[in-house]
Amino acid sequence: MKKFFCEINKKEISYLSLIRDLNKRKEYKYVSNHNDFYLIFRDIVASLLNDSKIVLIDSDLSQNEVEKLNIFSDELQRIYKCEYPDIQDIDDLLTRLTIPRNKWRVDLFTSGTTGVPKKITHTFDSITRAVKISPDKKADVWGFAYNPTHIAGVQVFFQALLNLNTIVNLFNLKKDDIIKSIDYYKITNISATPTFYRLLYDGSKKFENVKRVTSGGEKLDSKLFNLLQSMFPNAKILNVYASTEIGTLFASYGEYFVLKESLRDKIKIIDNELYVSSEYINNDDNDLAQDNWYKTGDYVEVISDNPLTIKIIGRINEIVNIGGYKVHLSEVEEAINSLPFVVNCSVYSKRNSVLGNIIMCDVVLKEKSISEQDIHKFLSSKLQPFKIPRIINIVEEIKTTRTGKVQRI
Amino acid sequence: MIEKILEIVNVIREKNSKPLLNEINFNDKLRSDLGLDSLDLAELTVRIEKEFGIDIFEDGIIETVEEIIKKIEQ
Repeated sequence: MKKFFCEINKKEISYLSLIRDLNKRKEYKYVSNHNDFYLIFRDIVASLLNDSKIVLIDSDLSQNEVEKLNIFSDELQRIYKCEYPDIQDIDDLLTRLTIPRNKWRVDLFTSGTTGVPKKITHTFDSITRAVKISPDKKADVWGFAYNPTHIAGVQVFFQALLNLNTIVNLFNLKKDDIIKSIDYYKITNISATPTFYRLLYDGSKKFENVKRVTSGGEKLDSKLFNLLQSMFPNAKILNVYASTEIGTLFASYGEYFVLKESLRDKIKIIDNELYVSSEYINNDDNDLAQDNWYKTGDYVEVISDNPLTIKIIGRINEIVNIGGYKVHLSEVEEAINSLPFVVNCSVYSKRNSVLGNIIMCDVVLKEKSISEQDIHKFLSSKLQPFKIPRIINIVEEIKTTRTGKVQRI
Repeated sequence: MIEKILEIVNVIREKNSKPLLNEINFNDKLRSDLGLDSLDLAELTVRIEKEFGIDIFEDGIIETVEEIIKKIEQ
């Protein structure tokens, strides 16, 4: 029986059980905030069948945080009654999921590197822009490594659902359970952040079943690329550029993005910032774009003009002024992550009365014998002095955001 | 307290591959005598603040070891 959703040692739900569940209770939680990923997925499917709106928020938000999203308590409790006819079987489900729908919308909230969360509304077309449906994807098994209420998670969900694939949860699992799940369920596709992969890497374990690995949400550097190739020897490794506002825009098999000719007039770069044509923005209360261009806030470097090839350097709001010098926190992170004894790191800045800001870093090490001084010496050959973190804390683990990215404290 | 400041100064000097100091004096100037540049001074404030809970540069420039100690003792 084709499985729909699995979580190791917890649950396995088949597509038939999903259909039975959808036929039995024709309703969904309008503001879907379940702890259980299956319930969120079932809510999304019910809203699709009913062609009506759904809102996705994290399960662990406090009342105060929910209020900041402008969601009222009656909305939070609201159960949306549906009127779709019974689903006959899996084929019927697929047919109904792929017919054009006009009213369905999903509201998501950007996870805040910028403070207050922003509501982003997507249509079926915008959220599934990068979804590929084909017979050779029928047997794919997806390792689900994102928060299901965030854009990347929703996109992976649609990619899997519209090919009737099995989804195996890997998000917020212990490393051992992630490894077990990938082997046990013979996962073929994983989409996750660089942070996820760095934490999974242990130097020797190889995942032979995986044939496609996607990295997104953070910058993929060349060290991580090599690490992915050794961890997943049979996989194609894809780097995607996507955001909550735009969805997936382009992808590459490495650090550099070579843009298709068809995208040429849809993007522009001013002062190293990437702008995207507002036609990619699907916000109903469209205040994101100005003069038909949306500022992405991403700092890029143009590698070549023809064909247009770019490299993402980092977020513009992660450029820090250190006594008059500009430093990209992601550049510093990349340099530290390239050291052979480093597992992962988080680089951030702190207000400083001498220089305005000072760069700090938390780092997780493979070798316990390395000291703060050693790291500093290694970095001296890689970075200009003002870019080197002046305080390096050696820690056991790096905090991640709800999206699974490195949290900059 | 002066030993702790010496220790912190040496942590910074070691990073910069400068020889460690055996002692520091009240009159030592942070820049010319202890060889600290502005990046080093920024680090010094963070480390002293961590140790003593006070931002020594919050009200302006500090030039000598003695001024650090006075600031901490305030």
